[in-house]
Amino acid sequence: MTTDTDQIYRQYAIEEYTPEHEPYYVGVGDEIELFRAAFEQKIPVLLKGPTGCGKTRFVEYMAYQLGRPLTVLKEQGTSATPPMHANGDGQALSVVTVACHEDLTASDLVGRYLLEGDSTRWMDGPLTRAVKRGAICYLDEVVEARKDTTVLIHPLTDYRRLLPVEKLGQIIEAREGFLLVISYNPGYQSALKDLKHSTRQRFIAIDFTYPPREVEAQIIEKESGVDAATSVELAKLGEKVRNLREHGLGEGVSTRLLIYAGKLIAKGIPARRACQVGVVWALTDDAEVQRSIEEVVSSIFE
Amino acid sequence: MERFAERLAAEYDEILGGYPVSLPRDFRQALAELTGTLSEQEQRLWAEDGAALARHSLRSWEAAGEFFRASPALATLMPFPVLRRWAETGRELAEESASLASSYFKAGAEGLGGLSIQQMREWAGLGRQLYKGNWKSSSLASQFFEVSPTLFQQVNLAEARALARFIDTLASRSYELAAACLGIAPKVMGSLQRADRGSFLGFATVVAETSWADARVYFEKGPGLLHHVHQDQRTRFLLLSSAVARKAGRQAYPFFAESASALGQLDNELHNRLLTLAELLAPKSGAAAMEFLKSVPEVLMRVRFDDLDAWHGEGRKILEASEDGGLAFFRLESGKGEEVIELLSARVELVRVGEVLRMYCKALTGTNVSIQAAGALADKGVGWVSTERASTDGTAVFLPPVVEEAGDKGENFAVYKVYATHQAGHLEFESFRMRFERPGALFGNTRIERAGGDGVALTDMERFFDLFEDRKLASDLFTVVEDSRIDYLIKREYGGIRGALRRVQGRELGKRSPVEQMPLRQAAVENLIRISLDGLSSVRWPLGRMETMRQAAGLLRAIQHEAATIEDTAEITLRLYDLLTQVPNVLLDAELEGEWAELGEDDIQLDMMPAGGEGGAPQPGGEGTLGEPGEGEAPYDSPDAPDFRGDFKPELVQLLMRLRGDAKSQGEADGQFAPLTPEQLKELMEKSVEIDISAFVEGDMQMSTGMFLANLMKEAGTPASEKQGQQSGDGQPGEGDEEDTGEPPENPIEYFWYDEWDFRANDYKPRWCRVVQQTLDEGENKFFEKTLVEHAGLVAQTRKQFELMRPELFRKIKKLYDGEEIDLDAVIEFVAERKAGHSGDDKIYWRRNKIERDVAVAFLLDMSASTDEEINRRERGRDDDDFDDDPRRYLAWWAQKRAKELQNPVKRIIDLEKESTVLLMEALETIGDRYGIYGFSGYGRDNVEFYVIKGLDEAFDDKIKKRIDKVVPIRSTRMGPAIRHATMKLDQYDAKVKILFLVSDGRPQDHGYGRDRTEKEYAIHDTKMALNEAKRKGIVPFALTVDRAGHDYLKTMCEDIGYEVVADIESLPSRLPTLYRKLTE
Repeated sequence: MTTDTDQIYRQYAIEEYTPEHEPYYVGVGDEIELFRAAFEQKIPVLLKGPTGCGKTRFVEYMAYQLGRPLTVLKEQGTSATPPMHANGDGQALSVVTVACHEDLTASDLVGRYLLEGDSTRWMDGPLTRAVKRGAICYLDEVVEARKDTTVLIHPLTDYRRLLPVEKLGQIIEAREGFLLVISYNPGYQSALKDLKHSTRQRFIAIDFTYPPREVEAQIIEKESGVDAATSVELAKLGEKVRNLREHGLGEGVSTRLLIYAGKLIAKGIPARRACQVGVVWALTDDAEVQRSIEEVVSSIFE
Repeated sequence: MERFAERLAAEYDEILGGYPVSLPRDFRQALAELTGTLSEQEQRLWAEDGAALARHSLRSWEAAGEFFRASPALATLMPFPVLRRWAETGRELAEESASLASSYFKAGAEGLGGLSIQQMREWAGLGRQLYKGNWKSSSLASQFFEVSPTLFQQVNLAEARALARFIDTLASRSYELAAACLGIAPKVMGSLQRADRGSFLGFATVVAETSWADARVYFEKGPGLLHHVHQDQRTRFLLLSSAVARKAGRQAYPFFAESASALGQLDNELHNRLLTLAELLAPKSGAAAMEFLKSVPEVLMRVRFDDLDAWHGEGRKILEASEDGGLAFFRLESGKGEEVIELLSARVELVRVGEVLRMYCKALTGTNVSIQAAGALADKGVGWVSTERASTDGTAVFLPPVVEEAGDKGENFAVYKVYATHQAGHLEFESFRMRFERPGALFGNTRIERAGGDGVALTDMERFFDLFEDRKLASDLFTVVEDSRIDYLIKREYGGIRGALRRVQGRELGKRSPVEQMPLRQAAVENLIRISLDGLSSVRWPLGRMETMRQAAGLLRAIQHEAATIEDTAEITLRLYDLLTQVPNVLLDAELEGEWAELGEDDIQLDMMPAGGEGGAPQPGGEGTLGEPGEGEAPYDSPDAPDFRGDFKPELVQLLMRLRGDAKSQGEADGQFAPLTPEQLKELMEKSVEIDISAFVEGDMQMSTGMFLANLMKEAGTPASEKQGQQSGDGQPGEGDEEDTGEPPENPIEYFWYDEWDFRANDYKPRWCRVVQQTLDEGENKFFEKTLVEHAGLVAQTRKQFELMRPELFRKIKKLYDGEEIDLDAVIEFVAERKAGHSGDDKIYWRRNKIERDVAVAFLLDMSASTDEEINRRERGRDDDDFDDDPRRYLAWWAQKRAKELQNPVKRIIDLEKESTVLLMEALETIGDRYGIYGFSGYGRDNVEFYVIKGLDEAFDDKIKKRIDKVVPIRSTRMGPAIRHATMKLDQYDAKVKILFLVSDGRPQDHGYGRDRTEKEYAIHDTKMALNEAKRKGIVPFALTVDRAGHDYLKTMCEDIGYEVVADIESLPSRLPTLYRKLTE
């Protein structure tokens, strides 16, 4: 029985998951060097930027890269070299990703008692596991979470690197390799949900924007498998649509969506149609804005 | 014989002796003439007839006189027995009226020879019919006889019969009109074709019956109008009109006149079909048939004739279901009708696609371009004149109002897109960022070398054009090269539009005028335009001069490069200019110069591509000597510019950009250029070929210049005071300036259009009302302060009430996995369930959740004239009666009232509305709801005035206090559009609770808001619909009125919408905040 299930899916403890292959990421600026330095200096990192511009991918990529000796990292082209393992247990760094939402409370991160029969059992939350394991903990869209989570973040992000577990009456010291990374999308949240300064000022901030046209085309090409010319057109579309931001559109089109469109095209869907379902309809429900973007699409794609 | 006559005359001298002397004289004279024609016997009988007539009654001798006078002529035309019978008829007429008879004879004398005696009798009968026994009818009948001679030159008896019937019918209403019609009848009849006369008169009779007041106008103007209709169809049209008139009554003539002139606007050949379509409608509703004809020209502007049937069919279906609906449809006043036309129509209107194109252009350029109709740019009076051609002024893209180039909508939209893309291309690829000193990416910079001294140019473009002697040629060349560059870059960057662009270019090529008939230099530019339109194969050029064209084409091709910049355009323009000034601008004699040949793709010299600034300059070849320049040359004239590229005015745009203080253009420019003076502007205006001075006010050049400068300044937004200073500084009397400065720039007027609900047609009237939005002027803030003082108690009270609302903002939320505390009840339940063996619900926490108060409210104040009413007046009825005619008591009362009034001026409804608003604002500020306050009034559907007192996103400040002071009664109450406008405003905001609060003093009413002023239903239904629309958008509407009769109509108007009638008007200030609180709790 167990062998059957094992064949069908793979399952990991949350803190043990590591990317198997090297995630694809193209550095646009000096973010790779910055992150590596921060990691080594144990400085928490805040990633700012719009949705779908590669923040999560960047974290995965860095986790993978940080598991390897510095020399290899510098020559990105030679990815064939098998990774060396920095944290001693023969793996790239683990990443624990938590997508924050407005009902996410501190106990969701730290852990809670579960009822089991008439007794209770303590279960560690993802943050606790990452702290114990020494993994990168990535809190995506952190401002969405409840304010009480900041109680946890603060002691973890200064020199103490401690996680208080109130319900157990414990304090856990973060293991070597633990790094708190949070992401934050400045344009998107309402004024109510701005990050507090006392929290903000515990992180260095790396600003992400959509990559320039050529780089984005390269990413689209690599990720979607569509030909180079179409990739350039898709990147161009991305650039044009982003001009419409704050103008009927809350957000510009993400690289991710452009890749999806590219993937559809690679499977033989006509370009205009692929962009319609992959970009236009995904972005907005406003008929007029849809029409406008479709016109841009039809101007770019034949 | 003569002796007999002499005897007869003597005999009758005696008989006729008792009458005035003219009678025997007439007798003698007639007798003398008749002697040859009549026998003695006949003469005697004739004389006896005359005498009998004279004897007949008191004044019948006059008729006898006419009889004698008419006889000689008639006797030659008819045999004597007929003459006698004619006389007999006259005698019969004389029985009715002597004057009638004399008119009858007189008319006979003037020649009715064409009629047989039978006809003559009938004719006499017609006249007699008109005589009703009173003097008015007698004079009408006489008039009938009087006009008969001229009339019968035009008409036959049957027609006369019809005419008489018409006159008779009309006379029963008005003798004056009948007489007037009769007077012009010969002329009118003459202007009609025989075939139409019967039906023309038939319709005339119907008009006389149904709307006699129009009969004369119809009779007079009808033939002219009828000429609009195809001659074979006129009878049919008249029959249709008659059929309609019987139902339409008063509308008969307007329908006829308007549909006739509508038909006149259309091709005659279509009339047959159109009338068939109209006839299909007539049985159900005559009015609809005529409305159909009236609307056809407008509809045909939008749909093809073949599609008209489909439109008609849809309308007919609606008509079958409801006459009002069908009428609205054919009147083009229904949403459904609009939809059908839109569906059938191939043309695309800017108003419909403007928003899409705006976002499209924004996406392309990344800047906030606005899309406007080309007319808007022309109206600014800053150099652009065309209302049809696309253009851009550097910040906005201007497009023609409609496109109907192709037969289907899709293609027409594609044309729009090509227009928009080209203009956006100018912005995206920086056509207006030319820097004189920046080298081109491909061609370097030869401009600097050429510029001898440093000119005093205002802009880089001007400095560039200053290099050329013939600015027009330079400007044309610059335009074609730049357009070529833009089109190339567009094709390269936007693969998807290539197809549409190619089609538009193809059509454009098809429209070019023949190049062979142009003077040579113009032909060269024309050829360049053709090449730029991808029409190399249509280039024609004298074989002997082919080298020039090859070089020119090569230069033009060189700009089609991805790296080419606007500076390269300038460089190529220079080279082309040098090349083309070698070409004499003469009309070529084909025989001398040889054949015109095509230019092949291979012939183009592409080695013109130079590395630096050198190689590009053309070497004037031997051909330059062929024609002696200056001898017999025509001045250079521009070939037509291609439509889709619109107007390209780089010099003006740069000037505007400079005036606007555009950051990029100014940054470097400041040190380079001298400060702007009006003289410079004037000079630029005079030399620039982009400004068509003749388009300004003709004649007074000085004034035109002044106006142009003023417009430019206004467009550029230079502060008024500065402008004034500049103008007075150099003693220029700026004519247009005075008005401009008076205009408050901070209160711009905006227009919005809204549909209106027609409950009869059960459909919307599309874009029916125009809302004119304007921010209210500022007055004093005294009113505001005074109200607060006056109602200090109330203010404190409401404020307290509102403050109480705040703690309620926190609510307990139970049944949570996690929270502030355990909910004991839930725990007990949970434990109990577990004991019982169930799993139970372990959501046992509760927590206080902050409910954010998120309210946006728009208050709509009725500013109609009726709010001017004093409140006391409503009660006066009671007071006035109490004095029992005792003047002393009255005086005492009056003095008391005056004193009171002086202390407390009389309050009007509007004052109370204002006071309530003030109190409410105070209260609202304490709870921080977002609110807007608007007033509305207006007159007619085109002018629904909408005043912004406080915008939803405006902060409350002194300005707003001052605006309240300016709330005054104005005109009518068209509530529908005002509600729709407020709804639109609220809809833009993201709030959990949105409220539309309407405060009025009576029912909605306005000019044209219903069939007539007294009809209530239309206005009430439209208002109701507007309120329902708001509701559908998630807005809570609430109506408050101070009209005591309000319950009547509010019940209908606000079926399931909250409303309240405030019976005691003076309680409004306290009631309004209370109501608001209840509404939002």
